[in-house]
Amino acid sequence: MISAIAFEQAMASLVRDADPVLRPDPLSREELLEAYHPDAGPEARVSLRVGPNRGDPCHPALARVVEGDALIGDVDLAAIAPMSTDVLVVGGGGAGAAAALSARAAGAEVVVAAKLRIGDSNTVMAEGGIQAAVGEDDSLQRHFDDTMRGGHHAADPALVARLAGDGPDVVRWLIGLGVDFDLAEGAAPGARLMRKRAGGTTAARILSHRDFTGLEIMRVLREAVELDRGVTVLNRSPAIELLSDEYGRCAGAVLYDLEHRVFKLVRAGAVILATGGAGRLHLTGFATSNHYGATADGLALAYRIGARLREVDSFQYHPTGVAHPPHLAGGLISEAVRSVGARLINGLGERFIDELAPRDVVTAAILRECAQGRGVGRDGSVGVFLDTPGLLKERPQLLDKQLVSLKHLAHRCGVDPCVDPLLVYPTLHYQNGGVAIDGNGATSVEGLYCAGEVAGGVHGRNRLMGNALLDIFVFGRRAGAAAAGQAGTPLAHGRIGLGHVQRWRRELTRAGVTGGSLSPVLYPAYGNFELRSHMAAGGKG
Amino acid sequence: MSDRIRLSIDGRELTVEPPLSLLQAATADGTPLTSNVGCMGQGVCGACRCLVRREGEREVSTVLACETSAENGMQVSFIDYFTPHRPHVYDIAGITDSWRIADAVRDVFPEADHCRHCGGCDRACPKGLEVQRGVALAAAGNLAGAADIFDQCVMCNLCTLACPEHIWPNHLGLMVRRAVTALGLRPSDLIARLAEIERGQQPIDFSGRDDHDAAAGAARKG
Repeated sequence: MISAIAFEQAMASLVRDADPVLRPDPLSREELLEAYHPDAGPEARVSLRVGPNRGDPCHPALARVVEGDALIGDVDLAAIAPMSTDVLVVGGGGAGAAAALSARAAGAEVVVAAKLRIGDSNTVMAEGGIQAAVGEDDSLQRHFDDTMRGGHHAADPALVARLAGDGPDVVRWLIGLGVDFDLAEGAAPGARLMRKRAGGTTAARILSHRDFTGLEIMRVLREAVELDRGVTVLNRSPAIELLSDEYGRCAGAVLYDLEHRVFKLVRAGAVILATGGAGRLHLTGFATSNHYGATADGLALAYRIGARLREVDSFQYHPTGVAHPPHLAGGLISEAVRSVGARLINGLGERFIDELAPRDVVTAAILRECAQGRGVGRDGSVGVFLDTPGLLKERPQLLDKQLVSLKHLAHRCGVDPCVDPLLVYPTLHYQNGGVAIDGNGATSVEGLYCAGEVAGGVHGRNRLMGNALLDIFVFGRRAGAAAAGQAGTPLAHGRIGLGHVQRWRRELTRAGVTGGSLSPVLYPAYGNFELRSHMAAGGKG
Repeated sequence: MSDRIRLSIDGRELTVEPPLSLLQAATADGTPLTSNVGCMGQGVCGACRCLVRREGEREVSTVLACETSAENGMQVSFIDYFTPHRPHVYDIAGITDSWRIADAVRDVFPEADHCRHCGGCDRACPKGLEVQRGVALAAAGNLAGAADIFDQCVMCNLCTLACPEHIWPNHLGLMVRRAVTALGLRPSDLIARLAEIERGQQPIDFSGRDDHDAAAGAARKG
């Protein structure tokens, strides 16, 4: 057990009157990351043994998933008549909804398959906001440069240019659907958008709706999708395998209908995977801010059918997850709280990092404080203080307008944020890499598109606040339009099946990868789900 | 350690160790969790809605299981998510006259005028919103007032389940919010930037002119 400073003692050290001075740092940011970030160190990656990325680095736990065997074989699909559509969207979050709406706008018929229910996603949980370079002191170029630098220059410049370039138009599109954004002070006609600073950026570029921007966006998009008669929404229908044709192209997917406990085949002119990230795999033992369904399903499905991955050894651990009380561990405290001025304070009452440095740097700094015994210990949890009293003593009104979610969360933690600081510790937040895509979301497999967190290359090795919400709409819309363009191709007629699964199994055997796990994982371990026993059982569940 | 508690969830008797949420308690006996779950604690997705009766109380209340602590003697029943026939269909792009937003809302939600003030929606709302007043404001054409009331709605549909007049209050509120924004929000800075992009005045140079660091440092000190 790492030592920590007891909560009561740490509280006594908390400076109440003055803004604490930032402690000088002997390490450069690079050295700090190398020494303390979870992505660093010898345990952080293994080499993939099979598939298009053989030899490339991958997080060890994720490697077990993407090198997994399929859950089904040919025998499972006998005598099931497929339903057909132009575009199949797998995933019901922001990227999936955007893809569905833009495929509809391009004239395609769309099926959306959601594992939980359309809208249940990380999107609805996004608090901080969405980046778009609209300010006079800002430019698309600055947004591009900030994103490239924030991602340690590992991102694909063409994707980043598209991200930054589409930003303002995405905001116009969202407003057109009825998504509200906060305005700066001033009369309504001619008013400007309210802009917040994000860590690691050179201009105030975060647009938001209060501090529940994702909820505002997702409820509008879900309504728009559900009201569109050309979209069939299949809730509680996780994709458990893709379908391929004789040329190896992606031609649909096998869904599991949780209500009726049967498989369903969907044949499609194109498939868009928008399945999100991997937080619920609890990589490296971290708690997560992610929603229940984030189990890297899309990565496993895409890799097995032959799509290339990238940067799957790079994850974002958000600096400010809840550390106490333990049963809420991992819940997110938005960067918005630091963005409006809250400080991070260790058990000695010291400020130890620029709170608006890039997220990976702030996370590494917090992990260092805790590793070196300067963390705050309470009931077996360790963390550092997020000094909300210091912030709110000058500006108590923040709680009612801009930091509504913070107020809500603090209440559930049993904390009055005006009096007591919150105890925070990094939480697994985002998959920086993913399936390699081009500017239209196309993968290296014909007929297969990816958008949102499942895709890689947009954020390099570290994502900036507000760029995930933008990413899902930029590439969701692009992928939807491109996939619609594929509808009506010969894919709709040839033989489809699990040829790629047979090929994959031969490759696993050749590489000596046997007795591994099955994927997609679908639910975290505490979800008590096992496909075959679920199919065999009756009743609700 | 803390004392274990007993509660009943969907008819199953469970013994669990607090503190934990109702949602966490629901999986304690190995039951598969594949629905009525989403954000797991943030209270924004509305998926884990359930009915709860606390020990010694007659009243049944509606809550979100992820943000409600399990207590001894609770009786809990999750409410299935439902996707029924959608009676209130509109296309937001089809509303083009900002003078007639209230009429458009009334065309799609004519039941809003039939509110019998039973308060069922208010009691059902796990977020404590003044749903019934929001319906009245929308019906009276006070769109800004209605939009404000539904601002923190998580679309759990509990008010829709509770309403005997099929008003679908949360969907009414959302339509009002959408229409007001889609026809009214025109930020000048966004308009200016879009025009620049259209004129080709916002080029992006891939070479990565990384010269904003000094400016950023200065801005941070300020």
